[in-house]
Amino acid sequence: MVYRRRCLVAGLLVASSWAGFGLFGRGAQAQAVEKAVAFVQQTGDRLTAIVNGPKSTADKRRALNQILEVAVDVDGIARFCLGRFWRSASPDQKKRYVAAFHDVLVTNISAKLGEYQGVKLTVQKGRQQEEEAVVTTIVERPNNPPNAVDWVIGQAASAPKIIDVVAEGTSLRLTQRQDYASYLSRNNNDIDLLVTAMIQQTAKSR
Amino acid sequence: MRAVIRRRPPSREIILAAAVFLASGLAGCATPPPATDAEAVADFRQTNDPLEPTNRVFYKINDGLDMVILKPAAQAYRFAVPTGARTGIHNVLDNLGGPVRLANDTLQGKPRRAGDTAMRFVINSTIGLGGVFDVAKDLGYPRHDADFALTLANWGVPEGPFLFLPVLGPSGPRDATGFGVDIAIDPFTWIGRGTTAATIGSWTRTGAGALDERERYLDGVEQVKKTALDPYATFRSLYRQNRAGKLEAMRADDRATIPIWWPRAVVAATDGRVNGRSRDQTAK
Repeated sequence: MVYRRRCLVAGLLVASSWAGFGLFGRGAQAQAVEKAVAFVQQTGDRLTAIVNGPKSTADKRRALNQILEVAVDVDGIARFCLGRFWRSASPDQKKRYVAAFHDVLVTNISAKLGEYQGVKLTVQKGRQQEEEAVVTTIVERPNNPPNAVDWVIGQAASAPKIIDVVAEGTSLRLTQRQDYASYLSRNNNDIDLLVTAMIQQTAKSR
Repeated sequence: MRAVIRRRPPSREIILAAAVFLASGLAGCATPPPATDAEAVADFRQTNDPLEPTNRVFYKINDGLDMVILKPAAQAYRFAVPTGARTGIHNVLDNLGGPVRLANDTLQGKPRRAGDTAMRFVINSTIGLGGVFDVAKDLGYPRHDADFALTLANWGVPEGPFLFLPVLGPSGPRDATGFGVDIAIDPFTWIGRGTTAATIGSWTRTGAGALDERERYLDGVEQVKKTALDPYATFRSLYRQNRAGKLEAMRADDRATIPIWWPRAVVAATDGRVNGRSRDQTAK
């Protein structure tokens, strides 16, 4: 009898501590999501201000670069996009690849947004998805149907950074990774060739 | 960016037959990586594009045709027709897809989605003046995708290898089958069949559909071609992700159908949940 009661008490204690943990966990998550929403709103406002501003294309690119370097986890995305080839790359290759990737990202995002006047970004809602916070927005560009764009934010609570952009269900970093994987498989898995091709591509579309 | 991705009939029955025939005649196979490289083999399987050399040939042909026919036509369309009118035309074409979506919502076992589609078709065909205005969206019946390929997926049919079909573009056995079935079950394919009016209507719909679709993705396709190292692989990835996203949205949409007379206390107690999902958790 005593044994059973003890078990019951212990069980209750364990249960209540779990419940407390759960509540705490949920609170912290909600806070992280809130922060992520504010972060996307702020970054989005700054991006659209530049894109819609009167500056020249080159100046816009420079300004976008500044924001992206701060707001986006470029190194992390670069590592992700090289996939299994990251481990086999030499330190020098890694360095040159990451440097080229910074340029690629800015060029691609400038290409996606830079040529429009009147880009509008509306933040809709945020949610927690595994480790990350995801913020849903609607991006409107002139002449184009509105797009649902999800911003995936890592470390939303402490140092929020964009780690992926998902437009209409297609992930930017996954698409990029598969592009590189295909290029490498058709070019003897040569990372040096990939880096050269990346540099050429950005030079062409600048 | 979805241009490549959503398939609306650029042309209809004949083209599908021609596509399948051509694809079967020109089969070339991709060489799998050596079995010793386990990661490369895993990548190869995941890509699931055993006919890649053939697919790339059709990609090139399609791209060439697009450059001389569809793209300039879409550019002219964008130039000549103001945005508002283009939206109206898009809405009319989209509304014509209502019956097929309704059938597929039903076959997928999604009553709330079927309800949305039915309400959208009735409201937009009447108050929306034949579908020109998407009134239903503002009344709380948002648009979603439903096609027979998604129905097959929901029934457990796997996606199969990637196929790049002539004219139709990126696809697969499941998606191509779904495309054919959707045409066959579309009442607008059969109404007045054989009459001149129906023939003109059918071709107009096909032509306008192709123009509308291409115009919407002019910028997206251009960006991919400009920024991708391997546009073919990028389109393949985008197509697959987009289809997977639609499938996920459909599967996740488990809103309950709760009758008005059902006690509110019960709804509140279960938090309006079915299968652990919120009843208001709607798909895009």
